[in-house]
Amino acid sequence: MSQVAFSSWGRQVIDNRQGGDAEVEVAKKKLPVTFDGEKQISAFMGWDGLILNDPNVDVVAMAAEYAERVQEDYCCAKCSPGRKGTRVMQDTLARIVSGKGEESDLDTIENIAELLQNCKCTLCQTSATPIVDTVKHFRDDYLAYINGTAKEKKAVDYKVKMTAPCQDKCPSHIDIPAYIEAIKNRRFDESLSIIRESMPLPAVCGRVCPHPCETACRRANVDDPINIMVLKRTASDYEWQHNHQPPMISKPKRDKTVAIVGAGPAGLAAAYYLALEGYPCTIYEALPEGFGGGMIAVGIPAYRMPRHILQRDVDIISAMGVEIIYDTRVGTDISLMELKEKFDAVLMAPGAHKSKPMGVEGEDEGYKGFLEGGIEFLREAYMGKPTGMGKKVCVVGGGNTAIDCVRVALREGADDSILLYRRTRNEMPADSWEIDGADEEGVQFEFLVLPKKIIVDDNRQVTGVECVRMELGEPDDSGRRRPQPVEGSEFVVECDTLIPAIGQDPELSFITEDTGIEITRWNTVVTKFVAQKNAAGRDLNDEMGNPLSRVLVTDMDGVFASGDAEIGPLTVVACVGNAHRAAKVIQRWFEEGEAYLTDEDFHEDILTHLGVYDKDEEVPWLDAVKRFDQKEVHGKERASEGNYNEVELGFSDTDAVIEAERCLRCYRVSMIAV
Amino acid sequence: MVNLTIDGRSVSVPKGTTILEAARQVDVHIPTLCWLEKVSTTGACRICAVEIEGVDRAMTACDTPVKDGIVVTTQSDKLTKSRKQIMELILVNHPLDCPVCDAGGECDLQDVCYELDVTRQEFKAEDVNPAVIDHWPLIQQVPNRCILCEKCVKVCYELIGADALFVNDKGDRAFIDKKVENCTYCGNCVSVCPTGTMISKPFKFKARPWALKKVPSVCTYCPSQCQIDLNVKDNEVYRVTSNDKGTTNIGNLCVGGFFGYGYINNKKRLTEPTIEQNSVSWDRAFERVVTDIERIKAENGAAAIAGFGSPRLSNEENYLFQKLFRAAIGSNNIDTEARFGAQRALRGLEKGLGLHGASHTLESIADADAILVFGADPSAEAPGVDWKIQDAVRRNGGKLVIANMREIHLTQFANSQLTYKPGSSASLAKGLGRLLMDRGHLNEDDLKRTVSNLDELKTDLSSVDLDKVIEATGLNREALELAADIIGNADNVAIIFGSDISKSSFGTSKTALIANLAILSGALNSGGGLFPLDEKGNTQGALDMGVYPEDLPGFQSYSENKDKFSKAWSCVLPDGGLDADGILQEIEAGKVRFLYLAATNPQSFSNSSRWMKALEKVEVLVVQDIFPSEVTALATVVLPGCSYAEKTGSFTALDQTVRSANQAIRPVGKSREDGAIFAELSGRLSKTSVAFSLAGTKAEILELTALYEGASTLDDDRRTCTRKAYQAADQSLNYQLITEDQGVEGLQLLVATSSGHFGTTSTWAAAPLEVEPEGMIQVNIEDAKGAGVADGELLKLTSATGTITGKVLVSGKIPQGLVFSPNNFIALGVQQLMPDGENMTSVQIAKG
Repeated sequence: MSQVAFSSWGRQVIDNRQGGDAEVEVAKKKLPVTFDGEKQISAFMGWDGLILNDPNVDVVAMAAEYAERVQEDYCCAKCSPGRKGTRVMQDTLARIVSGKGEESDLDTIENIAELLQNCKCTLCQTSATPIVDTVKHFRDDYLAYINGTAKEKKAVDYKVKMTAPCQDKCPSHIDIPAYIEAIKNRRFDESLSIIRESMPLPAVCGRVCPHPCETACRRANVDDPINIMVLKRTASDYEWQHNHQPPMISKPKRDKTVAIVGAGPAGLAAAYYLALEGYPCTIYEALPEGFGGGMIAVGIPAYRMPRHILQRDVDIISAMGVEIIYDTRVGTDISLMELKEKFDAVLMAPGAHKSKPMGVEGEDEGYKGFLEGGIEFLREAYMGKPTGMGKKVCVVGGGNTAIDCVRVALREGADDSILLYRRTRNEMPADSWEIDGADEEGVQFEFLVLPKKIIVDDNRQVTGVECVRMELGEPDDSGRRRPQPVEGSEFVVECDTLIPAIGQDPELSFITEDTGIEITRWNTVVTKFVAQKNAAGRDLNDEMGNPLSRVLVTDMDGVFASGDAEIGPLTVVACVGNAHRAAKVIQRWFEEGEAYLTDEDFHEDILTHLGVYDKDEEVPWLDAVKRFDQKEVHGKERASEGNYNEVELGFSDTDAVIEAERCLRCYRVSMIAV
Repeated sequence: MVNLTIDGRSVSVPKGTTILEAARQVDVHIPTLCWLEKVSTTGACRICAVEIEGVDRAMTACDTPVKDGIVVTTQSDKLTKSRKQIMELILVNHPLDCPVCDAGGECDLQDVCYELDVTRQEFKAEDVNPAVIDHWPLIQQVPNRCILCEKCVKVCYELIGADALFVNDKGDRAFIDKKVENCTYCGNCVSVCPTGTMISKPFKFKARPWALKKVPSVCTYCPSQCQIDLNVKDNEVYRVTSNDKGTTNIGNLCVGGFFGYGYINNKKRLTEPTIEQNSVSWDRAFERVVTDIERIKAENGAAAIAGFGSPRLSNEENYLFQKLFRAAIGSNNIDTEARFGAQRALRGLEKGLGLHGASHTLESIADADAILVFGADPSAEAPGVDWKIQDAVRRNGGKLVIANMREIHLTQFANSQLTYKPGSSASLAKGLGRLLMDRGHLNEDDLKRTVSNLDELKTDLSSVDLDKVIEATGLNREALELAADIIGNADNVAIIFGSDISKSSFGTSKTALIANLAILSGALNSGGGLFPLDEKGNTQGALDMGVYPEDLPGFQSYSENKDKFSKAWSCVLPDGGLDADGILQEIEAGKVRFLYLAATNPQSFSNSSRWMKALEKVEVLVVQDIFPSEVTALATVVLPGCSYAEKTGSFTALDQTVRSANQAIRPVGKSREDGAIFAELSGRLSKTSVAFSLAGTKAEILELTALYEGASTLDDDRRTCTRKAYQAADQSLNYQLITEDQGVEGLQLLVATSSGHFGTTSTWAAAPLEVEPEGMIQVNIEDAKGAGVADGELLKLTSATGTITGKVLVSGKIPQGLVFSPNNFIALGVQQLMPDGENMTSVQIAKG
C-alpha cells in the first residue's frame, strides 16, 4: 500500500483515496517520513501541488491556513494582484471554514487564482496552485463546510517556510531573490545586508563561489541563469568603493566564550554570527597574521581573490568582537583540551590543508622537484616562500586546486605549465570557467594520462614523469566514465617539477583520543545527527553522503565541528552555511543547555533534499535580455610572471541593475502538516 | 535597432527600449498606473500587461524590453477582462471619499477606472488598512487610498537620495512608512502620488485643483532655479507644482520649492510705505527719498549716497537699480551681497578662464564621468545641482569625488570623500593638480592649444610638495591618488565649487586654484564643465547687470565703458565708486550719509553687528524689502517691494540660463513691484516721466550688453534663453600662480546655508520653519564632550567679534576641530561671530 492518499505534486494527480496504491516517486524517495525524526509528515502543500499522506488531514482547513500564511507573512505587497488577490483568497477560504461560505466562493477562488497568474513574482502566483488543486479534487470537503456538514478531522500542526530554487540550492541559503531585488532597486547597501544575513564573506563568495545557485535558477528555463554570483560581488564592492561602514552592530557582550580552531571560511563565519549575538570568540589560526581566511587566503590565488578585499572581510569580522590569534597551531602550540578548559565552547574548523598522496612510484623518495602537493604549493607561493618550482611544471589533478596550481605556476615564472588529468576535459571537477581561464593563459593540457613513475637524474632531480594513456570505460558511482589504462601506451612527459593536486584531507591529529571524538574513515569529524528516512526506508543523506540533518556537536559535550573537517573538503559557501548552523546550535546550547535543530533547520533540510528547482518546468517569459557576464582581462599577459592582478572585473552598477532585472523572483511557500 | 510589431504597427526602437515606450512611439496607448518615467519601473499595478505571440503569459509593457521580431497585442478580450478585474482588486476597500480627497480631479486611479470602464466591485475582503498617519510634519499619509505603486518610495530614494520612505508590513496591511529622520521634506512624494495618499498638510482642504490657475514661473530660492508653476486663486499662492516634462528639474522640487512658498502671502509682509515708521502714501515716500537724495547730493555730492542691489531681484530690476544710482543719482557706490562670495569667484574665473559664471549648462553634469565637488554642499546650496550629480553617479556610471571639511548629503554616493582640515583647501587643490600631472592624467595636446602659460603651469605644479599637502590637509596619499585617478581617468569632468571656497577669505585665490584644476582636468574642454554655486537665487543676474562698482552691465569695465553708457543714458557717469567694504568704511567715517538697501539685509552679512552699528549711523536709510526686521526698524523710509510671484521678470540661473517668472498674483497690500519703484525714483530724480517698462528694459540690456549674444531663446512659457555653448579658445586659459594656505589655528566655526532654508526668506514661510525652526550648532561628539554638552543642550560660542548661544546638534558628519552653523537664522546671530567678509573663524566653545 502506498504511503500517499493523494498527490498533485508535479502536476501529476494520483488519487488513492478510494483504494489503490499508486506510488508517488517524489514522496517515496525525496520526502522523509518524519519532519524532525519524530513527528510524522501528514501532508505537504507547496508551489507544485499537494501531497496527502494521511487522508484524515482537513485539506480545506489546510488550504485556508496556507492562504492566510501567504498573505499575512510572506506576500510582499509589491504588486496589486498579489497584495489584494491573496487577501481576497484568504478571506474567502476563511469564510468557508467558518461555515459562512457559499458555493460561488469556489468560483471566486478559481477566479483569483487566475488573476494571480498576472503577479510580478511567483510567490502569490504559485500559492494558487495547491489551493486550486484542493478545490478541484476535494470539492466535496468544501461543500461539506458550505453546507454545514463538515466533520471534525485530525488536528495537525503546520510548519511553514518560504524558499526559492536558488536560495534552496545555495548551501548558505542566502535570500538570493531579495538581494537581487535590492540591486534592481539600486539599493546596494541593503542588498549587502541581506547577503550578510547568511554570508559573512560576501566579497569572497561574490568572486570564487562555484555558485550552485545558478544551476537552480528558473531563468535558465527561459534562456540563461541570472549571474547571481557577480551580483553579490557588486553589492559587496559597492560598500568599500563608497567607503561605507558595515552596518552590523554586535549585541552587548555576554559571559560565555567560544574558542574556534581555524580562521577559514567556517571559523570566520561561525565567529561572525556568534559575535553578532554577543558571544566573544577567539580564533586560533596556524598561519601568520595577514593570512586570515584559511583556504581562501592560501588556497585561492590573488588573481581570483584580491587580498586586500579578503582582508577587509576578515577585518570586519575582527572588529565585531572576534580575536584572531595567529601563528598558533592547535595540537602543537595549545591543545584541544586546554581550549576546552579555557572556553565555554570549542568549534573545530581546521579545514583540509593536507594534499592526498598520488600513489605514483617514487613519491616518497624526497626527489628534488617533486613537491608535496598542490595546496602546499599555492600556500608557499602566496606567502612568498620558496616553492621549489622549476621552469617546466606538471600538475596532476582535475579539480580547482589543480587549475589554480597551473595558473599560479605561470605567474611564478614557469615556462611551461602542464596539467595531467586521467579523464577528459568534460569530466574535470574544476569549474569550466577556471579551465577556460587556464587555457587562455597558455596552460597545456594532457588528458587521459595517468602518472606512474617519477623519472629522476643522478642528482635525484625530477626530469620527467612516466605516464600511461587512459581510455574511458563504463560509468562509475559518480556517473563519470571510469578511465582505464591502455596497455603498452607508456610515455614520458618531461618536466623539472611535479605537483600532485588530486585532493585534500583535513589534518585532525590535534583531536586526541582522550577527547572521545570520533573520526570517520574519510577523515572527517563525526557529529550527532537526526536520522531521516524516506518511505522506502533509506537514510536521507546530503550530497557528500553525510546524514542530512546534522546537529554539528561532537561526542564531547561543548565541542562542535564545522567546515571541510566536518563535511569533507567542499566549498567556501558550503562551509559558511554549515558554520552558520553551528553558530546557531552553539547559541542554543549556551542559552537553553541543549544542542538541537529547530523546525526551521529541519524544514530547510527537507526542502533541500526534495529539490525546489525543476529543470523541466515550462517558464513562459519573453527572453528579451540575455545574461550579462562580467568583463575580464584577456590575453596571456594577465598571467605573466608576478602578475596577480584580478582577472575578473565585476559589473558596473548599471550593468548589475540590468542583470538583476532579469530575475524572476521565484519565491514559493512550503507548508508541512505534522 | 530592434524591430517589432505592436497592434499591427511596425516600429523600430533602440535596444533596451521597453514595449511601453515603443508603443508610445506609434501612438498605441497602453494603460498604466504605477509607471513613472523618471524613476525605475516598478511593475506593481500590472494593468499594462500585453500579449506577445509565443509567450504563454501576459507581459507587463512598462518593464519588458523589446525583442527583435516580437508581435505584441495590447488589446484583447482577455486583457480587458484581467485589467478590469485587477482594477477591481485594487479598489477593494478603497474609500469612497473622492469628494473630499485632495487628489480629486487629478487622480490617476479615477482616470484609469474611467478609462477601463471599471464600474462594479466583484470582490470583497476585510479592511486591514492601517490608520491615517498624521504625526509626520507637513505630510499626511492616508493608507487606504494607497495603491502601493511605490512612486513616492522611488522618487525619495532614487532621485533625492533621501531613503526616507519604504514599504512596511506584509500583504494587504502593507503601507508606505517613513524613516522621519531621513526626510528632507522635498514634497516630491506628494507630487508623484497618483492618488490622495500623500497629502501636503499646508495645502490640504485649501483648494480644489481645478479651481487653481497654474502660472509658469521659476523658483528664486536658489540659483538652480527650478521651473515651477505657481498655483494661485484669489491673489494667493496655494501650492507650487512642477512638470516632469520640459523642466530641467524634471518636476522635482526641494523643501524650498515645494513647501517654501508660504512667505509670499505671509500676513507679516510689509504692505505700505512708511516714513520714520509711520504709514504714508507712496507719493510722500517717494518725495521724501528724492528730497533726501537731492539734499545730501547738494551738501556732500552724490558720493555720499550708496546702495545695495540684490540677488533676490530680477535682472531687469537690478539693471534699473544700477541705472537709478549711476544715471539718476550719479553715484557708483553700489554693490550686492555677492561681494562676499560670488564676486570673488567671478574674479578668479574671469582672470584665469575668461568666464563670468558656469561654463556649461546643468544638464552636462548628469553626463559627466567624474565630478569633483569642492567646498560645496550642493544639496543645500543648489539642490537642482545635487540631483544632476545623482543622475551622473547613480544612473550614468559617473564617479564622484567630494572635497569638503565635513561630510555632506552626497557623501554617501562618493567614491572618494576628501575631508580636508579647515584652512587647507588651497593645499588640497594644488596637491590634486600635482597628482594629475604625476600620474599622467594631463592632456598635453589640449593644454598646448588652450593654455597661454604652459611652462609656468608645469613649473608651478612641480614645485608642489605633496608631503606638505598631506600634512596640511590631514589626508593620506592613497586617498589623494585615488581622487586624482578618478578625475584623471574620466573623459568628461565636471567641477562644482561652492560657498566654502567663494565665501572664505582669499576666495578669489581659492577660486583661481579651482579654475586651475578645471584646466588640468580638461573640465573646460569636455562635456562636464565648471560650476560655481552662487548663494542666492539671482546672484548671477545681479552680477550680469553690473550691480557693483567695477563693471557696468554685461561685465563691461566701468572705467573703460563709462562714456558709452553716459551717452546711452544721456548723463555723465561719476568716477570711482565704493564697493560694500568701502561703503561700510565710509558710513563709519560719516562720509556716506544716505544708504539704499534694496532687498538686502546686512544682518545676514559677516560681522553683522558692525554693519548694524553702521546702519544706526546712516542719516537716511531707505529700505526696500518685503518683511520687517531690525533694519526696517532703523529705516527712515521703508518701501514695500514684492516677491517674485507678484511680478514678471527674468532670472539667471547658475548655469547662466535665463528664464522669465510670470506675475501670478497682484502685489500684496500696497506693495509695488521693485522695478516700478526704481523707475519712479529715476523719473522723479531726472524730472522726466519714466514709466516702468519690462520690454523697454530688456531691449536696453540687449542693446548695451553682449550678455545674450549667440544665445538661443525658446518660445516656451518661461522664454528660456540658453547661452552659447562655451568652448575654450586657443591660448585663452591662464594658469594662475597662487601661493598656498596660511593655515588656521584652533577650533574653527564654519557657516553656510542649511539644506532646509534659503537665505533668511524661508524663515518667513511656516512650512520650512516647522521642520527646522531654529539654527542648530553642529559639533563632533568629541568636541561636544570636551565642552561638556550633549545633544540639544546650549552651547556658547565666542569669537573675536562676539559671543552667541545656541542649541547643539552632535553630528557624525562634522570632524573634530570643526563647528558648523547654518547662517539662515538671524535669531541665532552666528554672523555676529564672523570676521568681515569671512565664513570661518576661530572660536571657543563652552556649555551655555
